[in-house]
Amino acid sequence: MSSYSSSQKTKPPQPKQAILAKIFHSLNIIALVLMIGSGLQIYNANPVFGGRAGWHFPDLFLLGGWLAGGRHWHFAAMWLFALNLLWYGVYILITRRWKRRFLSAKDLKALRVSQNQKRKNYSWHRFVYTAIIPILLLAVFSGIGMYKPAQFYWIANLFGGWHALRIVHFMTVPIVVIFTLIHSLLGLKVGGIRMIQSIFW
Amino acid sequence: MHPRLPRRRFLQLSGFSGISIFLSGCGATLFEKQIGKAIQPLNRNVQSLLLEPQEPVPEFPPSAIQPEELLINTYRYTPNIDPEAFRLSIDGEANNPLSLSMAEIQQMPFTSMVIRHVCVEGWAAIVQWGGVKLRDLVSLVQPKNSVGYIYFHSADGYLESWDIASALHPQTLMAYQKNEQPLPPENGAPLRLASPIKLGYKQSKWVTRITLVSELSSPTGTWESWGYEWYAGL
Repeated sequence: MSSYSSSQKTKPPQPKQAILAKIFHSLNIIALVLMIGSGLQIYNANPVFGGRAGWHFPDLFLLGGWLAGGRHWHFAAMWLFALNLLWYGVYILITRRWKRRFLSAKDLKALRVSQNQKRKNYSWHRFVYTAIIPILLLAVFSGIGMYKPAQFYWIANLFGGWHALRIVHFMTVPIVVIFTLIHSLLGLKVGGIRMIQSIFW
Repeated sequence: MHPRLPRRRFLQLSGFSGISIFLSGCGATLFEKQIGKAIQPLNRNVQSLLLEPQEPVPEFPPSAIQPEELLINTYRYTPNIDPEAFRLSIDGEANNPLSLSMAEIQQMPFTSMVIRHVCVEGWAAIVQWGGVKLRDLVSLVQPKNSVGYIYFHSADGYLESWDIASALHPQTLMAYQKNEQPLPPENGAPLRLASPIKLGYKQSKWVTRITLVSELSSPTGTWESWGYEWYAGL
């Protein structure tokens, strides 16, 4: 038994990610950090909940230093955030990645009937990172409604008014933060630290 | 091999947290002005491309007016202007510069609109504004073809400038009525800018002088001097 060389030991294969998926993922993290930091800076000028008397986010989470600075960052990083999502959407459509790499009917079945905990974890992982895509799109959509309310007046109408639109746009922040935690934990659970590494390097 | 945090990974993680502390801590304001300068030409072009200069923004029914939502933001103080003595001068690159009294302005065709007034701070209010179209005032003075921008001087020293396409939009008004009542002093009486296509800080109150120019010159506006975006289109 001692003659086993290390290469022969049973070891799961190193997880591999497509280079374009890695680029999208890293740019998306950077864009979200910038969008959330500057977004909370704008939020503080007139909190969505409670107006000027409402609770303000502490400086640690803010980007831009003051309202105009927050807006400069927000309306610069919006291009990175939205265009990154756009090319990635085109990419997963033409490579048909959306069929292989996202939540499928098999995953939903596994979540219901599988006795294999590992299989279930894997399906939860796919479920969670699939579910964040519409949230990211919602952030862009509700943002356009506030940035260009003259041309896209129907977006505010769709959500039932300006305040409702602000709430929807803001709620994407806590959802993304909670997602990041669950997504990281599920990634660790499914593939360990090597899985996490595989999406970055 | 037991899964543990390899050194490389540890350094990567500490790099990430280092970046985020730098971005969100005291370094946060460092690049704000540079980012603003870099991105504003692009955003201004996109915004003016999106603007349909002759297309009115859909309005709201009078029942949708939100009188309590319109907050008062004032630059320095509320000037006390006697409407009888008030004159609006319109000058600059025009063949027929004018000085008008409130009575003369109120004899011109009246326009009323119920629109959403959007503040840079994020809040908004549905307001009724009544007054005269700025384009009617501009055509009275016979502007030269070279006019590209328009400056607004206010009694409190506040300054603003607009692109001419936005200024000539059919819903850009010089308003003397708010929510079916005479315009209150704190909202800009006797005469203020009102429009659904620009942020609130572009909509000067207590306007006393309108100047037509071919080129923008510094300063372009009171808040713009502090770093606010100039175009500020909605």
